Amino acid sequence: MLRNALRKDLLLNARHLWGILPWFLWVAYAMSEPDAARMTAVGAAFVGSLMATTIAAREDKLRTAATLASLPVSRRTLVEARYLVAFIAGAAAYVVVVAMAAALPWSVQRAAELVELKTVLLTLTLASAAIAVMMPLVIRFGMIGVVVFLGAFQLLGVAVMVAFEFFGMRSAVGVFSAVRRGIVALHRGLDQPVVILAALTAVALALWASCRLSVFLAERRDL
Amino acid sequence: MTPDHALDLRGVRKSYKGFTLKDVSFTLPRGVIGGLIGPNGSGKTTIIKLIMNLIRREAGEIRVFGLDNRSAEVEVKSRIGFVYDVPGFWDDQTLDSQRRALGAFYRTWSDDTFHRLAAEFGLPLDRKYKALSHGARTKFALAMALSHDADLLIMDEPTAGLDPIFRRDLLRRLSALLQEEGKSILFSTHITTDLERVADVITFIRGGELVFSLTRDELLDGWAIVRGDDGVVGELDPGLVKGVKPRAFGVEALVSDGGAARRALGSRAVVDKVTLDDVMVLMSGEALHAA
Repeated sequence: MLRNALRKDLLLNARHLWGILPWFLWVAYAMSEPDAARMTAVGAAFVGSLMATTIAAREDKLRTAATLASLPVSRRTLVEARYLVAFIAGAAAYVVVVAMAAALPWSVQRAAELVELKTVLLTLTLASAAIAVMMPLVIRFGMIGVVVFLGAFQLLGVAVMVAFEFFGMRSAVGVFSAVRRGIVALHRGLDQPVVILAALTAVALALWASCRLSVFLAERRDL
Repeated sequence: MTPDHALDLRGVRKSYKGFTLKDVSFTLPRGVIGGLIGPNGSGKTTIIKLIMNLIRREAGEIRVFGLDNRSAEVEVKSRIGFVYDVPGFWDDQTLDSQRRALGAFYRTWSDDTFHRLAAEFGLPLDRKYKALSHGARTKFALAMALSHDADLLIMDEPTAGLDPIFRRDLLRRLSALLQEEGKSILFSTHITTDLERVADVITFIRGGELVFSLTRDELLDGWAIVRGDDGVVGELDPGLVKGVKPRAFGVEALVSDGGAARRALGSRAVVDKVTLDDVMVLMSGEALHAA
């Protein structure tokens, strides 16, 4: 049944997932910029996964959620398939960026850099974090939840910029700097077995908790 | 609870803001067509959604072929063909791609049946769903529901938006399913003539409460309309009077035993056979109904 649910999501939401194409235009441009490979690849996987998490919101819009819930498949299986689709979309986006880095004539990136274990693991960690946070949010609040969540981050970014540029508040950018330093440190550490194990454990736990929450929310939803 | 019933609802309750479905109980025997009728907002769709476990019941029990509709959800749904009042499919996908994606969920799915129905219904399988008219969308939903050899068909207002010719054809198909294959069918409708044509059991819901669930013969042969002057209602056993409506000259009353009314009133009133329309009208008037 999980296979059918996965197939259904990929068949019926293919056009929705193609929404990532504009991102690849930017990736194509960025291939001519030095040292952009990691950022574009991680970003593509991140965006691909995010795009897939919004399938639930699309189904609310099309009123197909009730049709799905009337099929002989549990809501748990439908939710689990959605997580798998998000990973597949993220992985596919990553592979496309690797191919672009290797094949585009104007690319100055080294594709080999993108298939290093630590870069792949960093991408997995960040995409998993995006999926773990977004999936329950979309299931509970739909597209409005996505817009509010991402909009709040945008506003926070603008507020931090204003605080830094106009009022000289260096501490305002502290959080963002800390996140950036954390990601860089994680990437550096991801060639050590202990860090790899810790990262994979954290990813597994976050996804397990997120999936449990999503199933709980989906099963309680009135359609 | 018996597996001889296609459907068995006991004390089912669900509350929304401003509406409560109150402890509804009724059964649908195997091999019959059941019709759910009632005014707008009476709870017909809520009952259907509860059976399909699209919404969570607060109390009661729902069994489909003897199986609990929640704990045996997958097994139950594999035996149900469902048509929603506003069918929800993927706008940007062709009918054929939706058939491929959704048919795979049913072990008993038949592509042959689907293609035969699609041809009979005139469905363009290479067209996108958004290009279809409302009637064609309902036909697609019907073709999907009828292509996996379901033992029970549940349809919410399936004939709304269909032209009279197709409506009649659909009802003929439903009757044939019943006679040839022993399937059970539950459908809600506002079009009472549809029910008079095919329904074996009629369940009336009003204001979230079950008013009655009777066989068509019990209702149409047993119940009656009494027309007479203002005093005739007072001469009847109050337990028999289900609804009263004033007319230009006298009153019109719905009674649950036409024979008893004839015996009680003699020639002082006219006692006529009842239609489902009469039942709907006389039992739906909140201020006037006597039941």
